[in-house]
Amino acid sequence: MRSLITHFFQWLAFVIAYVALDWASYLHALYGLNITPWNPSLALGLVCSLRYGRRIAIPWFIALLLGEIMVRGLPAPMLTTIVLSGCMVVGYSAIAETLRRYVNAGDVLPDQRTLLSWLAIVILGTLATSGLYISLLLVADLIPAGDWVVALARFWVGDCVGIIVTMPFFWMLFEHHSRMRDMLLRWETAGYGMLAAFMLWVAFGLGGSGEFQYFYLLFLPLVWAAARQGVAGAAIAAFMLQAGIIIAVHWLQLVAVTAFELQMLGAVLAFVGLFIGVVIDEKQRVSVELRQSLRLAAAGEMAGALAHELNQPLTSLTAYGMACEQLLEQGETGERLRETIHRMISESYRAADVVRRLRDFFRTGATRLETISLGELLASAASPFAAKAQQQGVDLIVDSESTRILLADRLQLEVVLRNLLSNAFDAVADQSAGQRHVRLSAHPESADSVCICVEDSGPGLTEANAGRIFEAFQSSKSSGMGLGLAISRAIVEAHGGSLLAEISDHGLFKLVLPTEGKDDDAA
Amino acid sequence: MQPSGYTIFMVEDDQSVRDALGLLLGLQGYPVVMFADAESFLKAYRQEWRGCLLIDIRMPGMDGLALQKRLLESGCRIPVIVMTGHGNVESAREAFLSQAVDFLEKPIDHAKLMRAIGEAFARQMDAENQENESTEFTQLLANLTPRETEVMELVVEGRHNREIAEALDISPRTVEVHKARMMMKLRVESVPDLVRLSLRRHNKNRT
Repeated sequence: MRSLITHFFQWLAFVIAYVALDWASYLHALYGLNITPWNPSLALGLVCSLRYGRRIAIPWFIALLLGEIMVRGLPAPMLTTIVLSGCMVVGYSAIAETLRRYVNAGDVLPDQRTLLSWLAIVILGTLATSGLYISLLLVADLIPAGDWVVALARFWVGDCVGIIVTMPFFWMLFEHHSRMRDMLLRWETAGYGMLAAFMLWVAFGLGGSGEFQYFYLLFLPLVWAAARQGVAGAAIAAFMLQAGIIIAVHWLQLVAVTAFELQMLGAVLAFVGLFIGVVIDEKQRVSVELRQSLRLAAAGEMAGALAHELNQPLTSLTAYGMACEQLLEQGETGERLRETIHRMISESYRAADVVRRLRDFFRTGATRLETISLGELLASAASPFAAKAQQQGVDLIVDSESTRILLADRLQLEVVLRNLLSNAFDAVADQSAGQRHVRLSAHPESADSVCICVEDSGPGLTEANAGRIFEAFQSSKSSGMGLGLAISRAIVEAHGGSLLAEISDHGLFKLVLPTEGKDDDAA
Repeated sequence: MQPSGYTIFMVEDDQSVRDALGLLLGLQGYPVVMFADAESFLKAYRQEWRGCLLIDIRMPGMDGLALQKRLLESGCRIPVIVMTGHGNVESAREAFLSQAVDFLEKPIDHAKLMRAIGEAFARQMDAENQENESTEFTQLLANLTPRETEVMELVVEGRHNREIAEALDISPRTVEVHKARMMMKLRVESVPDLVRLSLRRHNKNRT
């Protein structure tokens, strides 16, 4: 019962919208019949038919009939009108059915092939329905017999243009997870909307008196929208431009022939926009997929490496546990047992630390770019090492004076810097006391990039191992997983930077990152 | 109970793993000597060490498999058990090609480790027995007279008494006397035993 009422209101809304669009686009009609330069209402009908199925045919028929009565004041006898409307609904439903079969899988216009199929179905389908309609009109003697070619061309182009220009717009508007609804709320959309309005004014206001020689200017806002927002942007811009053209035609009171030519131009305009949009979307999708698969690969390697690293504490935990059993069996309950249990606890902490690192990686998995100050980044990356430095007698210098701004994922870069600092601390651990220095500093590399250096007083890298350290599982440390540097390099390269290990007599890693905006503090 | 004088030599870079395994094996009554890396083991190594080696594969500097290969090349016959946290077919193959007793993955199954140590000690004991036997045999060989040595070599070659008699130009009866004295001096019960011991000695001299 409830769904019936919902359906009833949906149908009512559809009929009202359909008739309203019909009324708004009923301009320059031929012979007072529904032969107009564009029929956007038809696009609405097709989209609703795709969305709600064949049952929309009934309200569609009612809407067509109401249009004839209310908008055109019933130009033909009632019976003829009913037959005509019925034939039209059957014809249009057949187009919708073909679309459903060939192009309505998943997203709206996801690739070039779908776009071209859609275009072909629309052009051929409207040609067929136009032929049917005009034949019926001829049979009913509503148009002069000699004018059938003109009538057919007008009717066909009107339907075709109406669909090409407005169907993508309605289609995306009715999508479940509409990309377009997000786009409509963006400032950029308002931007190209205003540009479109301005260009329309230039094309029709200034150049309107001539042969519309500035029409090509309308491509600018369209290309902007398509290049930035893909098909969704192209659909919005094409719809805006079309509405603008119709208003201009109405306002300038152009003759029907000129309006007809403008419609052809409008259709080509819309098609170009959609084609660019589809190509942009495809490119975008490929790049997202690539990044996703890279991330999965990195995560897989990371998980493998961490599993390996977990084996060490697990081995010692098991051995300590069995040693405890052995001690108890031997009647030992004093200091030795307590000491062994204490070591078990610290091994558990070590295992927990491995798990925490894995979680950190997955948490920082998605790149979230924000503007961050380089100085703050260095300070916050180094802060966990202050206590460690004191404990291990390492002289840690952090030069965080820089005021330059980076556009980066803070968590990820912190992971990289901590990883490098942790390596540096390990490298100086074997040095004699007083010889343990670690230095984190940054200096401008060029006007729009900066170089962060992590230096230590350890033995440094030789030529042989400098090449290998970035490979996975190439660790020189027992607790290291040999993956830190591989992951770090992947993160830095995802930021458009590079991570280099210098061959030197002391440890030196250079991290070059692009900065945001101009250089403030460099000479 | 393990034979006296057998020690477990552990080469493992991870301090906690070394400490934990050392403690456990120590509590189970094995003498354990621990090394943090391959280099310090090689520096400390003595020819007369007996027992088994417990080696981790991934270590800074020389890794476990390289250490194993180096020991094999230098003629060290201590049985080796390989441990790893990141086992793969390639490293297992390499370990077994270098005659590893077992290849254990971390976290280590203690029962498997015990079995491996038992097996390693058994191999060590076998090797030692053989070595003792052949040392003894070499010493006994020195007691033979030149004629007895000649007879022994021909017996090992598989000649019959008559053939030997012809070759040495003595009577078969004399050959029998020499042979009996030679067997007694070498403390062997039968000709096959004699052949086995002399072959082993031969092989050892060749390698």
